[in-house]
Amino acid sequence: MTAAARVWARRYGALMRNAWMVDLQYRASIVLWVLWGVMEPAIALGIWWSIAGTGAVGGYTRTDFARYFFALTLVNQLTIAWDSWYLDRWIREGDLNFKLPRPLHPVHEAIADNIAYKARSAGTLLLIWVVVSLVWPVVRLPFAPKTFAITAVAVVLAAMLRFLISFTTGLMAFWTTRATSIMELHAGISLFLAGRIAPLSLLPPVVAGVASWLWFPYMLSFPVTVLTGAVHGPALWAGFRGQLIWIGIWLFACRTAWRAGIKRYGAAGG
Amino acid sequence: MSRPSRSRAGAVIGALWKLNAAEELQYRANFVASFASTVFYLFTALLTLSLFFSHATALGGWDFWEVVVLLGVFNALSGLVEGILRPGIGDLAAQVRSGNLDLVLSRPVDAQVFVSFRHIDVWRFADILLGLGVSAYALVHLGRFPSVLQVAAFFVTLVAAALVVYAIWVILMSLAFWFVSVENIATLFDAVFEGARYPVSAYPAALRFLFFYLLPIAWTTTIPASALTGRLNAATGFAAALVGVGALVFSRLLWRAAIRRYTGASS
Repeated sequence: MTAAARVWARRYGALMRNAWMVDLQYRASIVLWVLWGVMEPAIALGIWWSIAGTGAVGGYTRTDFARYFFALTLVNQLTIAWDSWYLDRWIREGDLNFKLPRPLHPVHEAIADNIAYKARSAGTLLLIWVVVSLVWPVVRLPFAPKTFAITAVAVVLAAMLRFLISFTTGLMAFWTTRATSIMELHAGISLFLAGRIAPLSLLPPVVAGVASWLWFPYMLSFPVTVLTGAVHGPALWAGFRGQLIWIGIWLFACRTAWRAGIKRYGAAGG
Repeated sequence: MSRPSRSRAGAVIGALWKLNAAEELQYRANFVASFASTVFYLFTALLTLSLFFSHATALGGWDFWEVVVLLGVFNALSGLVEGILRPGIGDLAAQVRSGNLDLVLSRPVDAQVFVSFRHIDVWRFADILLGLGVSAYALVHLGRFPSVLQVAAFFVTLVAAALVVYAIWVILMSLAFWFVSVENIATLFDAVFEGARYPVSAYPAALRFLFFYLLPIAWTTTIPASALTGRLNAATGFAAALVGVGALVFSRLLWRAAIRRYTGASS
C-alpha cells in the first residue's frame, strides 16, 4: 500500500465510523425508510402476481416476478442516494459553509455516509430476504457465486451512477430553490424507465427503446436482471459498457456543476 | 378554567385557517408548483395503470376506468392528508420533543382539535377538487351516472374514509408520547397508503388481509369508489360508516391516554 492510499484509507475509515455512529442514533428512522423502500415493490409485486395468475405475462411467471421484485428491493437499497436532499439543505441553509474550509472535499463525506447507510439498511434487507426465503421457497435464488460476484460489480457501478445523479441534482440548489423537485421528477421517470414498476421487457417497445438510450436502465434494471440470472454473454458486456459511459457523463456534469456553483456561491456570500 | 366549548374551538380553528390562507395567498408560485406536482403524480399513476392494463383486462374485477374512479378518490384523500393532516397533526411528534405541546395544553381550547387543525396548506385543497374531478370524468367515460343514493353513499363512505385516515395519523403521532425519537413516523403512513391506489381485490390474499384488518387502508379508497361504481352493498356501507366512527372514538381515547402520560418536556 502506498503512502497516499494509506492516508485515504485512514480518512475514509474515520468518515465511515462517524457516519455509522450518526446513523446509530437514528435506527428507528432507518427502519422506517427501509419499510418505505419495501412497500413500493411489494405493491407492484402484489399486482403483477394477481395479473400473472397461473400463467405468464411477457415471459414472467409468478416466481419470476417475486424474484425480480425481491432483487429490485435489495438493489434499490444498495444504490439509493439521498444526497440531493442533503445538498439542497446544505446549500440553502448555509451548512456548506462549514464543510468547505475542511481539508477534504465535501463529496468524500457524502460517499462515506452512503457506504455506512447502505451497509446498515441493505444488510437489514438481506437478512429479511433470507428469513422470508426460508418460509417462501419462491424467492430463493439458485446459489451461483459467479452471478453474485458479477452482480456486486454491477451494483457498485449503479450506486456510483445514482450517487452522481443525486449529487449533481442537489447542486442545482445553487441556482434554484426547487432542486428536490427535479429529483422527484427524475424518480417519477425512473419508475418506468429504470424498471421499478415492471421489468423493462414488459414496457411498450417504444418506451423500452427510449430507455435504452438513457441512463435509467443502468441504475436498477441492469443489476437486478444480472442478479436474477436473466442477462448473459454480450448483453452483460453491453450493460457494463453502458454503466461506465453514463458514469463518465454524470461525473463530468457533476464536476462542471460543482465548479460553476461554488463560484456563484462565493459571489453570493461575499 | 372553564370547560372548553365546541363552538369556541370551531371559532379558533376558523380564525387560524383564515390567517393561514391569507399567508399562503402571498406565495402564489407555491400553488403552481404544488398543482404541477399533483398533475405529474396523477399522470404517472395513469401510466402505471395503463401498463398494468396492457397485460390484463381487469384488476381484481375492476376495469380501467373503474380503477381511475378509485384513483380520483385516492388523490382527493391525499389532498386531505397534505392539506390538513401533515401540516397539522403531522407536527405533533416534533412538538412533543421540543416541548411546544405544553403551550397548546395550557390554552382553553380542546388540545386534540387545536393540534389537529391548527395549520393547513390551502393549495393542497386543489388536489381534493382535482381528485373528485378525475373520478367524475372516469364515471362519464364509463357512461355510468350514479343514483342519488349512490352519491349519498359515496359521501358518507368518503367521510368515513377521512376519519380512518385521520385516526391512523393520530395513532402514529401518539407513538411520540411513548417513543420520542420517531420524527419520520409519517413515512410509515406514506408507505402503506401507497397500497390504497388500487382496489383491494387486486391484491393476493395475504396483502388483502393486511389492508383490511391490520392497516385498514382498504376502507379508505376501495369502499367510496365502490359506491360510485355500483359495487357497494348496504351492509358494507354501514360497516364502513361504523369503522369511521369507531376510528374517531379510538383516536380520541388514545389521545386521552397519551395526554395523561405526557408530563411536559420541561419537567
